[in-house]
Amino acid sequence: MDPLAELKQTFFQECEELLGALEQKLQALDEGSTDSEDVNAAFRAIHSIKGGAGAFGCTELVAFAHVFEASLDHLRSGRVQIEDAPIALFLRCSDAVADLVSAARNDEPARPRPDLLAELEKVGQSAPAAAPAAAPAAAPVRAEAPRPAPAKSDDAPPGIAALGNLLAMVEARTAAPTPAPAGDGWDDEPASAAAPERSGNAIRLRIKPDSDLFRRVIEPRVVLAILPSEDIVSVACDLGQVPPLESLDVSDCHMRFTVMLRTPMSVEEVHGKFDFTLASEEFEIEMLAAPANDDAAPAAAAPEVSQGVAADLSAILARLGPAASPPATPDIAPAPPASPAAAAVAPAAPRPPLRPPANDAAAARQRQAVSVRVDLDRIDKLMNLVGEIVITQSMLVECVRSLPYDVHAKTAEGILTLSRQTRELQDHVMAVRAQPVKAVFQRMPRLVRELAQTLGKEVKLVLEGENTEVDKTIIEELADPLTHMIRNSMDHGLETPEDRIAAGKSPEGMIKLVAEHRAGRIVISVTDDGRGIGRDKLLAKARSRGLVGQDEKLAPEEIDQLIFAAGLSTAEVVSDVSGRGVGMDVVRRNVESLGGRISVDSEPGRGCKFTLALPLTLAVLEGMVIRCGDDRYVIPIASVIETQHLANTPIEHLTFGQEVLRWRGEVTPLYRLGAVMGSSGERNENIIIIAETERGDNVGIAVDEIVGQQQVVVKSLEANYGTVNGASAATILGDGLVALILDVDSMLRLAASGARHPAPELKLAG
Amino acid sequence: MTLQLGEKHFSAAQPESAVRRIVTFRVGDRTFGIDVGMVREIKGWQATTPLPHAAPHVRGVLNLRGVILAVYDLRTSIGLGQTEATATHVIVVVDIEDKVAGLLVDSVSDIVDVPVSAVRPAPDLERDEHGLIEGLVLLDTEIVALLDLAAVIRDGGVEGLARTNRAA
Repeated sequence: MDPLAELKQTFFQECEELLGALEQKLQALDEGSTDSEDVNAAFRAIHSIKGGAGAFGCTELVAFAHVFEASLDHLRSGRVQIEDAPIALFLRCSDAVADLVSAARNDEPARPRPDLLAELEKVGQSAPAAAPAAAPAAAPVRAEAPRPAPAKSDDAPPGIAALGNLLAMVEARTAAPTPAPAGDGWDDEPASAAAPERSGNAIRLRIKPDSDLFRRVIEPRVVLAILPSEDIVSVACDLGQVPPLESLDVSDCHMRFTVMLRTPMSVEEVHGKFDFTLASEEFEIEMLAAPANDDAAPAAAAPEVSQGVAADLSAILARLGPAASPPATPDIAPAPPASPAAAAVAPAAPRPPLRPPANDAAAARQRQAVSVRVDLDRIDKLMNLVGEIVITQSMLVECVRSLPYDVHAKTAEGILTLSRQTRELQDHVMAVRAQPVKAVFQRMPRLVRELAQTLGKEVKLVLEGENTEVDKTIIEELADPLTHMIRNSMDHGLETPEDRIAAGKSPEGMIKLVAEHRAGRIVISVTDDGRGIGRDKLLAKARSRGLVGQDEKLAPEEIDQLIFAAGLSTAEVVSDVSGRGVGMDVVRRNVESLGGRISVDSEPGRGCKFTLALPLTLAVLEGMVIRCGDDRYVIPIASVIETQHLANTPIEHLTFGQEVLRWRGEVTPLYRLGAVMGSSGERNENIIIIAETERGDNVGIAVDEIVGQQQVVVKSLEANYGTVNGASAATILGDGLVALILDVDSMLRLAASGARHPAPELKLAG
Repeated sequence: MTLQLGEKHFSAAQPESAVRRIVTFRVGDRTFGIDVGMVREIKGWQATTPLPHAAPHVRGVLNLRGVILAVYDLRTSIGLGQTEATATHVIVVVDIEDKVAGLLVDSVSDIVDVPVSAVRPAPDLERDEHGLIEGLVLLDTEIVALLDLAAVIRDGGVEGLARTNRAA
């Protein structure tokens, strides 16, 4: 891939994140947040998208984002109260931006949205007159124009989009060497806006960047572009530091610059501008002459000088610039006409920066430093290696245990430290891979909004547990099943507002999306308060399709599960939303292929709940090592509720050999692990482990012995073998032997099917 | 006649002078061989962890430097019962497509170069028996049966592997 395309790719990836952030913040506002930080974050997101889009020549996107940004800016500046803001419009606009981004990504023609643009433009105009229209005409209208690419550090977004901004700036600077019109937005200084004649401080600026400048992804032209070109009197480049060719490292920066300025800015202000890109020891600012108020000569001479200099500068920049095609100058849509009232506010009270600039710059630098894109493969390798270390370390622990402690106390101590460090290392590597499910959840509000519109239903989407973390690979697999489940709930589950009112419910339906960790898995449920599954209809259809025998009696719960059968749809009218019931059986197949499960609980008239349980792949889990006969197994601690001695537990026998025990007043089925898993050797089965299934039921599992509790590395059985019933994966114990990690639910199914029909699911899937 | 067919079959893909380098190993009094390229390593017997309700020839899984792989008992596959594994038994670790598997054998004997033309297709009788033999090579002193590894692993109904292999 050529570098530009790669950058572009990165930009689109960033866009995904930015769009997510935008949507999330708008959502927060929609739910009644009045936090200005939410507004700022939304503004920053759209601003960053615009900046990057400009750099890559996505003109439609820039034009739309620009207007959108401008309306958000009204909120940000307080010209429009957050409470009065048309958040629903903003949400639709964020969808439109998403569409534009994806159109740009796929090189498709973008759908113009004049409707939204027109609505957006109204936002600032309908603002309540916060300030009395004291001087409507006096205020320079242009000052109200949204700044195309503010250089203020509090606006500076991280990453490529930021680079895009800077590139766009450089472009704009070089393309327009004439002194920019007052208040063109290059700086927020009202002073410069009011100073057509250029006098000011004569300042000498020496820039002596560290040799690692390029490696910090900073270019001299970016540094120089910080200065308003009309302030620059001359730029000289000193190449004296360039070493002999044989010792020249081209990735080092050897250039020194001396810039002469005639500027209204003070030394401190100039300093503040460079603080953002350069370390303080990398530049020196020297005041040569204070402004002479009565000195008219510079004022007259300045425009010509700056013209010439700007041309010089652009020549320098052209020489410095890469051969890559210059990014298109953002094609900025006409600024929305500022309302007189609004225009009066700004010049009167220039908005103070939100935070001190120095802090901002530091924060911006920090933001850039904390975010690194790493190939998933590399993390995988790291993860595998850490897994190896964990196993080696537990081997060491076992070795030391067999030695007399007094002789090897030191070793034991060292190994203890090692254990702790290994574990910490593992946690950190895991944390790198883990991501909150938010990444997927935040795509859902849009889906719900669009579907609600298509279906003519009123829906409120509630998200819970968005910060539940799960491995990145699982995150990617979540989107499809969730989309299907929500579609299903919206289309088949929820009723129309009229039907809901008729059923005595509120017209607005609710869909709740909840993520949580349970039993060592991530469990995601989609609950709606709709009509529930129409069992009669479903059963009739299943009978007509021959999926269920005519005389076969099914329990209500069994009927519900038919929704996962292929080719069944309960909707009377087959819609284009969830189709002909292909959704749920595909969902089930996909989920099962990931080692997960899906189930449904329905209450007629009250609603329906789909529960999706997926493994936290690659997770290292806290396990209880148990022994049964000659074999050892690991049961995830998360599945274990308690353990007890068999002698303390009354066991009763039901017919067909099923045993049950009374536990906390409940009748709990008991399974003997050795029998279920076919363990070899003699068994006494003295210990009962009370475990929890994904559905929240409890079962007793009889084993011989609890060997211990330890963290185990989950190793795939599928990678080199295949699915093993009763186990979700395997691990390697301290002695180097493999132990199966039990999956309580799969084990129960194995027990129910018996060894006579091994793996019915396998055959289905094959 | 069958011999000729076999030669033709191979000569289509490789020149007449091509040789196959084969690792030979013994189970009981029989000698088997596989292409050396498939062999990842050879290691002494190591205890395996049995899998619940697995096919008889699946001895269980073991840990090979952090990778979990299944070990298949070749003796069981060819119908001679289970190997009483001792320290002198050998696990041949092989690559099959994108998977790693272990083959439990009595001992590894040799590495031999066999002209491609010397490989005969397995007689129907052999094929009928288990479908595990891809071809036969006559050496001076013995007959080497070349194994179809995928069949060895599949045989006995390890659907998991077969299924995932197909998927891959």
